[in-house]
Amino acid sequence: MAERLAMYIDTSKCMGCRGCQVACKQWNDRQGYVPGVRETHNVGTYENPLKLDPQTWTRIKFREYDDGQRFQWLFLKEGCMHCTNAVCVDVCPTGALKYGPYGIITFERELCNGCGYCSQFCPFHVPQLEVINRLTGEAKSSKCVFCQDRTTNGLKPACVKTCPAGALDWGDREAMIAKAEARVQELKAERGFPKANVYGKTQLGGLGRIYVLTAPPEAYDLPADPKYPAMSTLWQKILQPLGGIAFGATILGTITAFFIARRNVHMEEVE
Amino acid sequence: MSVRLKGTDAAIQIRWIPKYTTLERFLHWVHTATFIPLALTGFVLFAPFLAPLAQGEAGTLIRLIHRIAAIFFGGVPIIYALAQPRRMLMNLKEFLSFSKYDLLWLKGAIPYYIFGRHSDMPPQPRFNTGERATAVVMVLGTITFGITGLAMWFLKGIMSPFLFQLAVFFHDLMFIITFVMFMVHFYLAVVHPMMWQSLVSMRYGVVSESYARAHHAMWYYGEKRAKQMWEELKARGGH
Repeated sequence: MAERLAMYIDTSKCMGCRGCQVACKQWNDRQGYVPGVRETHNVGTYENPLKLDPQTWTRIKFREYDDGQRFQWLFLKEGCMHCTNAVCVDVCPTGALKYGPYGIITFERELCNGCGYCSQFCPFHVPQLEVINRLTGEAKSSKCVFCQDRTTNGLKPACVKTCPAGALDWGDREAMIAKAEARVQELKAERGFPKANVYGKTQLGGLGRIYVLTAPPEAYDLPADPKYPAMSTLWQKILQPLGGIAFGATILGTITAFFIARRNVHMEEVE
Repeated sequence: MSVRLKGTDAAIQIRWIPKYTTLERFLHWVHTATFIPLALTGFVLFAPFLAPLAQGEAGTLIRLIHRIAAIFFGGVPIIYALAQPRRMLMNLKEFLSFSKYDLLWLKGAIPYYIFGRHSDMPPQPRFNTGERATAVVMVLGTITFGITGLAMWFLKGIMSPFLFQLAVFFHDLMFIITFVMFMVHFYLAVVHPMMWQSLVSMRYGVVSESYARAHHAMWYYGEKRAKQMWEELKARGGH
């Protein structure tokens, strides 16, 4: 198999500066503050914006976690996980979402027709639908593509390059896993984080983001065991093939019936 | 109506019996003219080999056509209910009344429709078993398409993703069921050599007396008499 690259994200080093958010917007030409269009309002949290949106492909999620022994302020870099078993690729009817090189789930905006299936099936709720006109259905999906234009040319994603805390890294997935596991050992043994763990190694066949977490995934609002949606399997792997068989059988059946009927029916007797 | 036979003085008399109102026929054709584009545009998202049509601006246009057709498709039962509510209720009631004669019809359908043996066909009311089954499926389909379609159209991102996934699934399931029914309906109503009067009735709203007698005896003679005739015929050992 071709080389698989991954993003290493060490939440214990992240200081929530959100430089990654800015670098992402700059490189990918996403809007930041636009007076009258995209404005910022203080709603009592440092999170900004409050969720991923078509203009924000990555953001830092702020969570407070108290396990009874110590209080932690957790920072989690959110964005497309680039799953090995990516449901978005399976439900996309246009091929706009694809398994690209290095295990990157690439996105071609020109191919997207705005159906929004990816945004509704992703177990991490990552793809964001930019609704241009709800009535006509005109829309475009959008998500982090691991700066596919940079990474396929040997560069690191913009967010990794900019991170001043050294919380982010980019490279061979196995190497990133090894680095994360070593860091978790260190956090457990020397830094007083007994619940430190690696996230992304096995989930959904292995994610393209390898996280070092200092608290259980749930504390970050991450699903500990994200599931490939059963509804997608039921729909695409069972219902649609059955539908194909039903259509084929009906067409074949009626054509055969027609030819048999034509030989047997005597029109002069028909009322 | 009398039809003069070509080159002779002989004429045959055909009595025509009204079956559908003008509005019913009009709405039936609106239904047809919207169901087909709906099915075709929906199929683009269904079949991977049609992906090029689903891509980008073509896909956006296909989705727009689907929505415009859906408005007219959904308008059909609404206009019918507003304009002829009693006809609609009467038909719905007829669609939903099934009896042992429907089992006999199912048994006789293959010998009849494929081999042209009419003797096995039991008496039927104004709509035969197959027509009623198609109608029931279409009514259920319209309700399902309406609910799931409007939900996917207006509530995407507002309702929970799981409900959206359910809507996609049931929309697709109903598409498969109704499209299979549609293909059979099209075959029997338009293609099948013996059923030439069905297209006439959907064009002019009438069927001939002889057709009504042969195919819808319970309608023509009344239920009691038609059943009695059937039992007598069976007792005599068929045609």
